[in-house]
Amino acid sequence: MRTWLAVARGHLVDRKDYTSVPWGVLAFAFLVSLIVFAAVPMSAGSDRSTGAVSSFYIFYFVLGILSMTRSLPFALMLGVSRRAYFAGTALLALTMAAVYGLGQAVLQVVERATGGWGVEMHMFRVNYLMPGPWYATWLTSAVLLIVLYLYGMWYGIVYRRWSVYGELAFIAAQLTAALIAVLAVTWSHGWPSVGRFFNTLTGIGLTGLLAALAVMLLAGGYATMRRVTV
Amino acid sequence: MTAAIWVAGLTRRYQDQLALDDVTFEVAPRSITGLLGRNGAGKTTLLRIMAGQEFASAGEVHVLGASPLTDESVLRRMVLVREDQSYPDIRVGQAVKVASWFYPNWDAGLAADLLADFGLSPRRRVRRLSRGMRSALGIVIGLAARAEVTLFDEPYAGLDAVARQVFYDRLLADYAEHPRTVVLSTHLIDEVAGLLERVVVIDRGRLVLDADTDDLRGSATNVSGPAIAVAEFTAGRPVWGRRRVASQESAVVVGQLNEADEVRARALRLSLEPLSLQQVVVQVAGKPVADIRERTSA
Repeated sequence: MRTWLAVARGHLVDRKDYTSVPWGVLAFAFLVSLIVFAAVPMSAGSDRSTGAVSSFYIFYFVLGILSMTRSLPFALMLGVSRRAYFAGTALLALTMAAVYGLGQAVLQVVERATGGWGVEMHMFRVNYLMPGPWYATWLTSAVLLIVLYLYGMWYGIVYRRWSVYGELAFIAAQLTAALIAVLAVTWSHGWPSVGRFFNTLTGIGLTGLLAALAVMLLAGGYATMRRVTV
Repeated sequence: MTAAIWVAGLTRRYQDQLALDDVTFEVAPRSITGLLGRNGAGKTTLLRIMAGQEFASAGEVHVLGASPLTDESVLRRMVLVREDQSYPDIRVGQAVKVASWFYPNWDAGLAADLLADFGLSPRRRVRRLSRGMRSALGIVIGLAARAEVTLFDEPYAGLDAVARQVFYDRLLADYAEHPRTVVLSTHLIDEVAGLLERVVVIDRGRLVLDADTDDLRGSATNVSGPAIAVAEFTAGRPVWGRRRVASQESAVVVGQLNEADEVRARALRLSLEPLSLQQVVVQVAGKPVADIRERTSA
């Protein structure tokens, strides 16, 4: 456990990647959206939502990739085991996701209180995914961030182990799995029930689904991690 | 005494290439061992497997009594500084600070002294460092870690002669105060000859020599002089090679020479010159394996 914490701290030694940069990206995306919506006149029934908040989530995915490609050789030089490195990094992702998720929830509260930042903008109130209340948003946001980070970690691990061709095979395998799933649903005429499932799924249910995905990613990533060489 | 590092039947295959071929040897605790061999001999692969960074195709490695792959506590007592070590995009001081978190015996004072010795500013970004300066950073971390098992893989790449001397001096001084198991791979053999207590030589993945440095010193002697005299002197002795120019010949005689031999050589007007460690290794590493085993055991 001490090693895990040291690994997590190690990622934060140059902490701007986990602090000023993602929030800077988000602030920029926010300002752009705000200016656009301020310029567009309000009309009844128009959709005034922006997907700008996704920039933050994409950045978190990239951080997951970088955590496995850039720092791993250094950690292994220092006698850190693959397991400890993986666990420490995942621990960091979890902690940061909890903090960022709270940030998202707070911004959502502010957005609602200020009438969408004065221009009826929906940025932190994400339709379907994070409509509120704040604690549900916190949870969903945190879990989604973890999923993305773990997914990025897995990409990073595959890259370390099998380089570009491995990455291509990894993506191809995922597409193949998705294709099989789509075909299976189509042949069994299952689309209506799939649609029903997601329509009736509550925010918490969806979060639970994401959490299950996170566990899968954790298991898959760790299984790959055990074979990594530097 | 149990070995600090125990390698048995270690083999590593990469597709069609055999990087390590049935390598077996031991490293005694609290010793400095030179891992010698030519480029591509398998030195880095061997060290990476010792440090758990790479997997063996066959065979076993135990460090401090356990496998570095299954026993994390063993890894925690090791450091491997590689020639091609890569670092995250951080500053020198940050890299040193991070490293310090992983070693209970970390010596911050030593790290600071070494940084100063190498003229390495903690403010500089690792990515911007020259090859030599990056090597210096690896050396700083490797020595200040005071890890029980300290592995250096050609850690001096790009370092000038002065900086290399700093490394050797510091290594020896710190080793004297805090004995530990050091394995140092290198091909600058004569530079480190004075440091090494034991040498392990691998060539094309095979172990070709594993001996105490003291035993190797004087284990082969270059005999030169008139060809007839050389032939008389070397008759009945194992010889590693002869070179003849006109009536002059020189031959490398294997085995320790005694006083009587020296007297005889003088009478024959032969000059005797013991081979340096580097020359011995060059002789050994350039030959078919069976040949060497036979001759070094002679």
